[in-house]
Amino acid sequence: MKEKILEILTDLRPDVDFENEKALITDNVIESFDIIELISRLGNEFDVEISPKELTAVNFDSLDAITALIARLVEEEED
Amino acid sequence: MEKNVLAWLEKSAEKNPDRTVYEDISESITFGELLDEAKRIGSAICEAGLSGKPIAVMMGRSIHTIAAYLGIVYSGHAYAPIDSTQPVSRIEKILGLLEPEAVIRDKGTEGKPVEGLLGNVKSFGFEEIRSHEVDNERLKAAGASLTETSPLYIIFTSGSSGRPKGVITSHHSLMNYIEAYAGVMKITEEDRLCSQSPLDYIAAIRDIYLPLLRGAYSFICPKEYFMQPDLLNGLLNDKRITCVGWSTSALCVLSKLRMFKSGRPEFLRKVCFSGSVMPAKVLREWQTELPGTEFINQYGPTEVTASCTYHRIDHVVGEGEIIPVGVPYENYKVFLLSDNDEAVEQGGYGEICVAGCSLALGYYNDVERTGSSFVQNPLNGSYMETIYRTGDIGRFREDGCLEFHGRRDRQIKHMGHRVELDEIEAAALASADTAEAAAVYDKEKETIWLFYSGNAGVKELIVGMRGFLPGFMVPRKVIKMETLPRLANGKTDLEKLKESF
Repeated sequence: MKEKILEILTDLRPDVDFENEKALITDNVIESFDIIELISRLGNEFDVEISPKELTAVNFDSLDAITALIARLVEEEED
Repeated sequence: MEKNVLAWLEKSAEKNPDRTVYEDISESITFGELLDEAKRIGSAICEAGLSGKPIAVMMGRSIHTIAAYLGIVYSGHAYAPIDSTQPVSRIEKILGLLEPEAVIRDKGTEGKPVEGLLGNVKSFGFEEIRSHEVDNERLKAAGASLTETSPLYIIFTSGSSGRPKGVITSHHSLMNYIEAYAGVMKITEEDRLCSQSPLDYIAAIRDIYLPLLRGAYSFICPKEYFMQPDLLNGLLNDKRITCVGWSTSALCVLSKLRMFKSGRPEFLRKVCFSGSVMPAKVLREWQTELPGTEFINQYGPTEVTASCTYHRIDHVVGEGEIIPVGVPYENYKVFLLSDNDEAVEQGGYGEICVAGCSLALGYYNDVERTGSSFVQNPLNGSYMETIYRTGDIGRFREDGCLEFHGRRDRQIKHMGHRVELDEIEAAALASADTAEAAAVYDKEKETIWLFYSGNAGVKELIVGMRGFLPGFMVPRKVIKMETLPRLANGKTDLEKLKESF
């Protein structure tokens, strides 16, 4: 799952080092229109719905955080 | 009418010294403290004995940045905000054009590559000058040299060929616009604003100056809040925000992020949007979610001090409805010129032209481009009447409401910013091994595409362009081709490229 997410992220913004960047939102590394595209692609790829409540820096500041969020949403979806 | 913006500050500070005027994510400042800080900064600059050329400001998204602007005004200079997080090559172009005599910097620029560009420019550290002693004699002397038409600020916008334009605006023009806007939006001392615009961008003038004129309050909201709807709703309610002037694109983004699913701004009564065409669908959602809130569409370029027309939306708009840009603000004259520089008949299309006291003083250090956009009104052969040619196409409805119908050239509005597609192409050609480049805009999806040919790889080119362009201008769709499609006349076939959308 992490590799797939990294692929999506890198496709969206090839200039960002997602493996090391830890403040994607907090330091304004990604723009608001990147986020829109990202949640749409993540939603389609993993068949989950990312609600506005989940759109926080805590969930989107790093690749690990995004992976954890998606893993949790996938699990909730299955329950 | 007051002579300059400092009169507004002094009046409000006298009336309500202990009231909070600005707040950011870490601190707040009262009218009294703001007056004091601006005077200290002004005194420090006066003491340096400068010649009167503009002073650049490279500071973060903080209430003190505004104090620095006002301090510069106290010293008798014009201020020129520069976003120090832009690519170095762009800052270099701006500095080359501006030739500032001095710069005020906060800690954010320390040790950054931008330091290397400053050369002999005198550098004021914000922390030092904010505690400088107030020298009323010197401030008085500096103030005496200001007139209503003295330049207040220089704000940079995208220019084709990659050379930014510095729009220089007088106190008089700014005050005229702010008063007109305050009237339309019925701003009072009780209003609490929330600033979305970057502080170096034209739209920020409302959030900066309305509090000074009317005794209102502005919260300087961090940019990342606009990607986190829950956080933003919480903040708007915590700070009891009543009135905002945001970019159309911010409203669209929040709608796409489904802001109203997780809450709503309970105190928001007035929303003005501007910067690009508002899709009816998005406005309809905002109107439906916030039934007690008034919505106003606003239109106009930086060159006429932010805006020249406004339109009060008086009904919930239907899907697909065209939202007009409305009627001129007080003291603005707005009319159309045909391709032959003649008057346009009622109901016809023409270039939107603006006259009146809110016209900018021109483009700083750029006589040529000033002369081609700020011209004598061709309909007036009797006396000097400068007009600004917006390059936008418009049409007046029967009821006198102006409609916007696109551009004459290749300028687009993207995420609330003016973007010259030529500037993007110039960056693509300069930043990597590319032979041809064509930028096109997918308005519907708000995406900039770039098609190119050459040896450079896609990633290499994208990274390269980031060295020339601010982040929002870097194309998100980059397509490598063997060669770009051409029309019979040799020009790139842009319509063909758009088929990729």
